[in-house]
Amino acid sequence: MTIKEYKSLFDELYVSLCLLSNKYLEDLDVAKDVVQDVFLKIWEDKIEFENINNTKAYLYTSVKNKSLDYLKSKRYKSTDFLSARKLEKVETESFFLREVVVIEASSIVEKAINELPDKCAAIIRLSLKEYTVSEIADELGVSINTVKTQKKIAYKRLRPLLEEYYFLIFFVLNIFK
Amino acid sequence: MPNFKQIINLSKSLAASFLDKKKNTEIVEQSQLFNDEDKNYIIKNINDDSSIEKRQNLVKQIDKEADWINVVKRIELSNYKFYWRLSAAAIISGVLLTGYFFKDTFFGTSLEKMPIVLNVKPGKEKAILTLEDGSNITLEKGKNYVSNNLNSNGEKLVYNSGANSKSKNVFNYLTIPRGGQYFVKLSDGTKVWLNSGSKIKYPVAFVEGEIREVELVYGEAYFDVSPSTDHKGSKFKVLNQNQQVEVLGTEFNIKAYRDDDNVYTTLVEGKVTVGLEGKKQYLKPSQRSVLDIDNQMITISTVDVYNEISWKQGIFSFEDLTLRDITKVLSRWYDVDFVFLNKSIENKKFVGVLDKNQNLEDILSTIKNFGIIREYRINERTIVLK
Repeated sequence: MTIKEYKSLFDELYVSLCLLSNKYLEDLDVAKDVVQDVFLKIWEDKIEFENINNTKAYLYTSVKNKSLDYLKSKRYKSTDFLSARKLEKVETESFFLREVVVIEASSIVEKAINELPDKCAAIIRLSLKEYTVSEIADELGVSINTVKTQKKIAYKRLRPLLEEYYFLIFFVLNIFK
Repeated sequence: MPNFKQIINLSKSLAASFLDKKKNTEIVEQSQLFNDEDKNYIIKNINDDSSIEKRQNLVKQIDKEADWINVVKRIELSNYKFYWRLSAAAIISGVLLTGYFFKDTFFGTSLEKMPIVLNVKPGKEKAILTLEDGSNITLEKGKNYVSNNLNSNGEKLVYNSGANSKSKNVFNYLTIPRGGQYFVKLSDGTKVWLNSGSKIKYPVAFVEGEIREVELVYGEAYFDVSPSTDHKGSKFKVLNQNQQVEVLGTEFNIKAYRDDDNVYTTLVEGKVTVGLEGKKQYLKPSQRSVLDIDNQMITISTVDVYNEISWKQGIFSFEDLTLRDITKVLSRWYDVDFVFLNKSIENKKFVGVLDKNQNLEDILSTIKNFGIIREYRINERTIVLK
């Protein structure tokens, strides 16, 4: 892995991994340390990944394991108390996977919106919060027509991503039916 | 247990339906990857305004760039430990290493500030010759190579003159890697200087009376073309994927790197035309044409020729170039990659004339002394700038 590839991996996943670790630790600063440790390790061990899914699987799993290690460590136990029942719950696979789904899905949404021009993005954010066209126009102090045109521009831009990912819906559903 | 790809695919389809304002509950319900409690958790956390806001607040508290710098520092620190062990081993065996590490450790400079320095030496005469049968020969100092129509002392390559073949053209390629440069004299006497990261295709011998054609596949080359009058009026043409230059005996420079959006042709002496499909434009001495590859537009202006061809004399002459463009030049000559820690410095401009025959560190410290960059770190073949 070149440092360029390493940086782009960091850019892509650092925030998501911090969110995951924070779910376990409920302490964002410690979560950041845990994730940085994991990034340091993949650099030092010169780990090469086959594809992005493998990379994500490795990083999410490592962050989960490191976070659980921390929860079980003496340092943590001396300052916080975690009930045996809660620990049992956070150690389950489903606690981990459902969080990954939430983080991944919301990260895709955020990135897609952030890539839109500012005005477009602001309109789409409100639209996703179930604001009507006229409510959006009021809120942002623009005309109803502007809102309509900007929405069209936004969806034109989002179309390729939506089409690619919609295809996966059938995939997701069919496989498990 | 579901595999990770299924989890990622589910996330993608949930994101798509959320963006499209369609109900995504059905997708979660039917996915069968989770039990009911987890399904409700996912639906709530993706769709509820309060959950979204909570997450956005957390994201705001994460300073990705600052944390990245932190990771880079920690990598350097661990590299430092590694080199320190190496240096310690060197003392025991009686070999003195660079001295850099000892100075700083013994005089107590903070570790954090210490760069990991490996001397990055300038490029040198180096090329790979590809013969007509596809075999490759490495040309470098100290290696002689002679065949019936060419010879090389390792530092330059010369094709025998007068060996005009009447048969079909036979082509050779010369590839100059990053960190190399080379000089070749073609069979018609045309001299070509090739810059780092370049490739040229040419016939071993030119057919008498026909147009002499060579191709600059990519990269930068300076041509001193043997005049048409010595070759029964045969014109000389330099082809490139994006343009062609027609020549009547003259000196000029072409720069056509693949990571550049433009092709630059600078005429030093004589007369050439620069042509795209169907269009031809004349260049006068000291004029440079810039072809914008995307728009297929050529603009011509008068330039200081020295800046364009100084590379051939062993000098970098940077005038009004952005740091991004300068690092492109340096990365070819020193065979290194640059990483900008903050984007804002990429467009800073630097003016200076620098000797190509010095270590990279000297060049970087000059640029630093001008206040263009605050700091640089050399980490093997990667240079981090900020």
